Amino acid sequence: MARMKFLCDAERCIACNGCTTACKNENEVPWGVNRRRVVTVNDGVPGAEKSISVACMHCSDAPCMAVCPVDCFYHTEEGVVLHDKDLCIGCGYCFYACPFGAPQFPQAGAFGLRGKMDKCTFCAGGPEPDGSEAEFEKYGRNRLAEGKLPLCAEMCATKALLAGDGDVIANIYRERVTVRGKGSEVWGWATAYGQPKGGQKPAPQGAKS
Amino acid sequence: MSNLGRIVGPIAVIAALALAGAAQAQTAPGTQQQLIQQQQQRRVEQPLNNAPVWKEVRSGRPQFTSIPGRETNVLIQSSGQTWRALRDGPITQYGGWLLVIVVLAIAGFYFVRGQIKLHGAPTGRMIERFGGFDRVAHWSTAITFCVMAVTGLIILFGKLVLLPVIGYTLFAWLAALSKNLHNFVGPLFILSLLATIVAFVRDNLPQAADLKWIATAGGMFGGREVPSGRFNAGEKGWFWIGVVILGIAMSVTGLIMLFPNFDQTRATMQLANIVHGIGAALFVALGLGHIYMGTLGVQGAYQAMRTGYVDETWAKEHHQLWHDDIKSGKIQAKTEEGALAQMQRQH
Amino acid sequence: MSALKWVAVAAAAAAAFGLAGCGEHEQVVVYKQGKYQGKPDTLPWDNAPLAWGTAKWEKGNEKSWEDELKSRTQNQNEYVRIQHY
Ligand code: HEM
Repeated sequence: MARMKFLCDAERCIACNGCTTACKNENEVPWGVNRRRVVTVNDGVPGAEKSISVACMHCSDAPCMAVCPVDCFYHTEEGVVLHDKDLCIGCGYCFYACPFGAPQFPQAGAFGLRGKMDKCTFCAGGPEPDGSEAEFEKYGRNRLAEGKLPLCAEMCATKALLAGDGDVIANIYRERVTVRGKGSEVWGWATAYGQPKGGQKPAPQGAKS
Repeated sequence: MSNLGRIVGPIAVIAALALAGAAQAQTAPGTQQQLIQQQQQRRVEQPLNNAPVWKEVRSGRPQFTSIPGRETNVLIQSSGQTWRALRDGPITQYGGWLLVIVVLAIAGFYFVRGQIKLHGAPTGRMIERFGGFDRVAHWSTAITFCVMAVTGLIILFGKLVLLPVIGYTLFAWLAALSKNLHNFVGPLFILSLLATIVAFVRDNLPQAADLKWIATAGGMFGGREVPSGRFNAGEKGWFWIGVVILGIAMSVTGLIMLFPNFDQTRATMQLANIVHGIGAALFVALGLGHIYMGTLGVQGAYQAMRTGYVDETWAKEHHQLWHDDIKSGKIQAKTEEGALAQMQRQH
Repeated sequence: MSALKWVAVAAAAAAAFGLAGCGEHEQVVVYKQGKYQGKPDTLPWDNAPLAWGTAKWEKGNEKSWEDELKSRTQNQNEYVRIQHY
């Protein structure tokens, strides 16, 4: 069974924000919400600058899901974490809990009025008929139902951002690391997918939080 | 989580959370400058080894991003997991048990001890115990408190208790209603609370008689009630611990969560939520006790706050020092006699 | 005494409800098709491939959809893409 994951290769990300833009366009994300963002560590420092593109990592033991007061999150069979906007009450707890800062709200939130939470769906839509107008308006494009992968990764110019079945992208990355010879950190995997369990292939060696 | 983890985890986690808020910038393994130097060096000595960069990332310090928004420049925050473990763990579990135990204890107490009735016959002479301002302040606090308690508990426990019973659609509607009520009644609760504190603070100041009351638990388990002023030590406990300390703690932490538009960090809101959750369990537990004593527990107590008047016998039996002070004229209090008093009493 | 009875019943109900919240609940709901009580979501492979798209799989066949996606994932792998030229 496929287990969808994201992987960002810090050696390759050039902080072009193409993924952010592609995501916004493909999913017609609401104003003020960015489902994906690029963060540059040690910005502008020669020899120490690294960039990472980050969005919802679709965690195995998702904190958002655990703290949601209305239990509006669910895992799809492919391991994607989706939520039902019709149930969401906009309390912001998923935003408190998420390690990656993925959940976003369309409003600023005085008196706790935040609107419905919005986050990366791994381009898998949400709990509405696949490809329907309702699904697109609430959750964006359902590319998985079209046999495609998330656009952010598919259009990434340097192929820093990989998306797809965890084993497959881990293998792609492993091949790169073998060629490079070193530097096998996979950022975020330990946090998102935890320690490998039986049956699941471990993250590429040297995985870092 | 293992069983041991359930116990040790929260303790470790409380310590971690306390640190997270205050010392976010300092507890990192090395300053950003040190890590940058390490990285630059490593790049030469061991190309492609980015360990110092990952350390910098794990520090939770803000980095650079062109995306606007709260803390978008933080790549990863670890305190979210801590908050989750606390909220879904001890706060839900111990908080839930506490409330159940309190309800059962009150029920048990009621069935064993029954209502505390007047011993003497009512005289028909009524003394004013609560003036107009007292009563308005009390009841607006009481009503908003109940709204806050019910809606807050739905947000915390509804998923576990109501959701399996009433289903997703109905529960989501109820939760949204609860959240909005909680958020808009909150400020009203704060105003009422402040009015209540102003109204009752003077007569809740500690007195010598309180010590004896505490020592014998008010004479609850045997014999006579210990003489007290206008409020006894039990009521004063509720006033200071409940109304003042917990009320203000709930208000402050509530406001922090209520206005996320001031760009407070997630760590601040997590801490606020934890304090709010612990406070809620304690406040509601004490509140249940107070509500019991004010209605079922003591005959005439509810009428006192409703009409403002108590019978002289009631005053003498429950607040003897207060009664004596009124009789001796040390305290000025309105009194009513005759037909009106009869009417008040029957209310 | 009927008022008291009411209170007793209400207290008992409240206690029972409260008790239900005190168990060790698994708060993480694992999504199983047909088990999550929220709105059901359809499975990606239950859709027919777009007529004009390049993706091809057999409608309703999970394996064929996964294979399609796996091969598509290789588009992100230069070591594979380079070989095509
Ligand atoms: C009687 C006093 C109060 C009680 C018993 C109470 C109880 C609760 C409880 C149990 C929660 C859920 C915590 C969780 O799910 O982790 C909560 C959340 C919250 N409370 Fe309170 N609360 C009280 C007063 C207030 C006040 C005075 C305010 C603000 C003015 C406030 C604002 C909030 C906010 C903003 C939340 C977060 C959820 C939301 O956005 O609705 N609360 N409260």
